[in-house]
Amino acid sequence: MKKEIINLTVNGTLHEISVEPQVTLNEVLREQLDLTGTKLSCGAGECGACTVLIDGKPELSCCTLAMTANGKDILTIEGLARDGELHPLQKAFVECGAIQCGFCTPGMLLTSKALLDENPDPTREEVKSYLSGNLCRCTGYVKIVDAVLAAATEMNKGGK
Amino acid sequence: MFRTLKPFGYFEPKTIEEAIGALSVHGAKAKVLAGGVDLVPRLRKRQAHPEYMINIQQIEELDGIIKETAEGLRIGALASLRSIELSPLVKKNYFVLHEAIHSIASIQVKTQGTAVGNLCVATPASDVAPALLVLDAKFRIVGPSGEKTVPAENFYLGVGQTVLQPNEIITEILLPKPQAKTGGAFLKLVRTAADIAKVNAAATLTMADGACKEARIAVGSVATTVLRVKKAEGVLKEQKLDLKVIETAARAAAEEVKPISDLRSTAEYRKETTRVLVKRALEKALERAKA
Ligand SMILES: Cc1cc2nc3c(=O)[nH]c(=O)nc-3n(C[C@H](O)[C@H](O)[C@H](O)COP(=O)(O)OP(=O)(O)OC[C@H]3O[C@@H](n4cnc5c(N)ncnc54)[C@H](O)[C@@H]3O)c2cc1C
Ligand code: FES
Ligand code: FES
Repeated sequence: MKKEIINLTVNGTLHEISVEPQVTLNEVLREQLDLTGTKLSCGAGECGACTVLIDGKPELSCCTLAMTANGKDILTIEGLARDGELHPLQKAFVECGAIQCGFCTPGMLLTSKALLDENPDPTREEVKSYLSGNLCRCTGYVKIVDAVLAAATEMNKGGK
Repeated sequence: MFRTLKPFGYFEPKTIEEAIGALSVHGAKAKVLAGGVDLVPRLRKRQAHPEYMINIQQIEELDGIIKETAEGLRIGALASLRSIELSPLVKKNYFVLHEAIHSIASIQVKTQGTAVGNLCVATPASDVAPALLVLDAKFRIVGPSGEKTVPAENFYLGVGQTVLQPNEIITEILLPKPQAKTGGAFLKLVRTAADIAKVNAAATLTMADGACKEARIAVGSVATTVLRVKKAEGVLKEQKLDLKVIETAARAAAEEVKPISDLRSTAEYRKETTRVLVKRALEKALERAKA
């Protein structure tokens, strides 16, 4: 099928990319831009491992045709740390032991970022509810929720 | 599971007319694409084989606006489930719809997926459809011969089947003005929060002078389509609603449904659960109608 040029701003950098219509955003990120932090697991909307922020909102890159993301702003896990310094959420995940195999972590972190952008001081229940579209095979979730709450506390203290 | 999708042509119409034109040329070979949450996984699983994908998200006349009108509330076809869930207008006047969408777990699915897309999939397990049935929603549909309005109740034909033709699109969901002394409730039973319903139920009750003026009850996952249980509704009409009447209506509802057995539940269990959920939804709706 005919290739078309689309413009994607990924982690602040504008890319002109040539894609066929059936190519998903997940494939563009992983295979054309080498941003393999974004995972593909179920490919069916169930697990959240492929989550990226599109114009600030948590969406599923496995369910998104790249062409429909034309002109949009995308944040992947590679864009979360700034100037070599980890985001408070990333630090909290490390400190709280919220990572085991790490496969779910990029999606968990981006969904958590969307949550804290919307609601900087969530309750434990609110964190659990917001993360319910992100599955983790390893941790049992408790430490992930702990980490998000710890990051919120840290960020509200004025850490960045 | 395949990683990649099979090739197809892609079209981004700018007007409804262009979209209908493209859909008319390609017929059943074309598919409307909204949020993609349902359709893209189907392509990956090779369950759908469209040759052309018509992305309706760039159509200037379509939007996701939720606003009050003279007749009630209007929800644009592109409105995400999340924007409807969070809408103060929906929370205030159509709480049963808020409650139904709130029961869907994944934030990503609700952010990306549209309510109209959810309806068009026509799964009997939809949580959105029962709420719209009890709210007496109508869908505005545009096709080659113009525009029409179809009541939600007449929209479904069977599993995955609706009255929508391949060259028609839904442009709006329309809800009538809420009536005074009306309460609604949505409940569902699931294996885990993220799973689809084993059974769900929505109800609205309108009270006047201590009696039930109007009752609407809809249930999901218990027949080939989401459906209104009208015998059960009839039990409530013009009655003073005590626990006995509500229990009789709930039993009638369980008699009206035709569930199947599958990996989520047996048919018998679904019937019994219909009774319990309808009873609880009615009790909750009554409490809210009185408040
Ligand atoms: C993990 C997961 C969990 C889910 N959980 C629930 C749940 O608990 N309860 C529930 O009710 N639902 C649930 N869903 C279903 C979800 O709500 C729908 O898949 C989603 O809303 C579809 O909307 P979309 O905009 O992405 O549609 P798309 O995938 O883009 O389209 C779906 C269908 O609708 C058609 N269509 C879309 N818009 C129009 C239009 N305007 N006119 C004509 N045809 C149109 C398309 O042609 C296609 O056939 C879940 C889905 C997933 C993946
Ligand atoms: S890979 Fe996208 S939701 Fe699982
Ligand atoms: S840490 Fe292994 S899946 Fe979550």
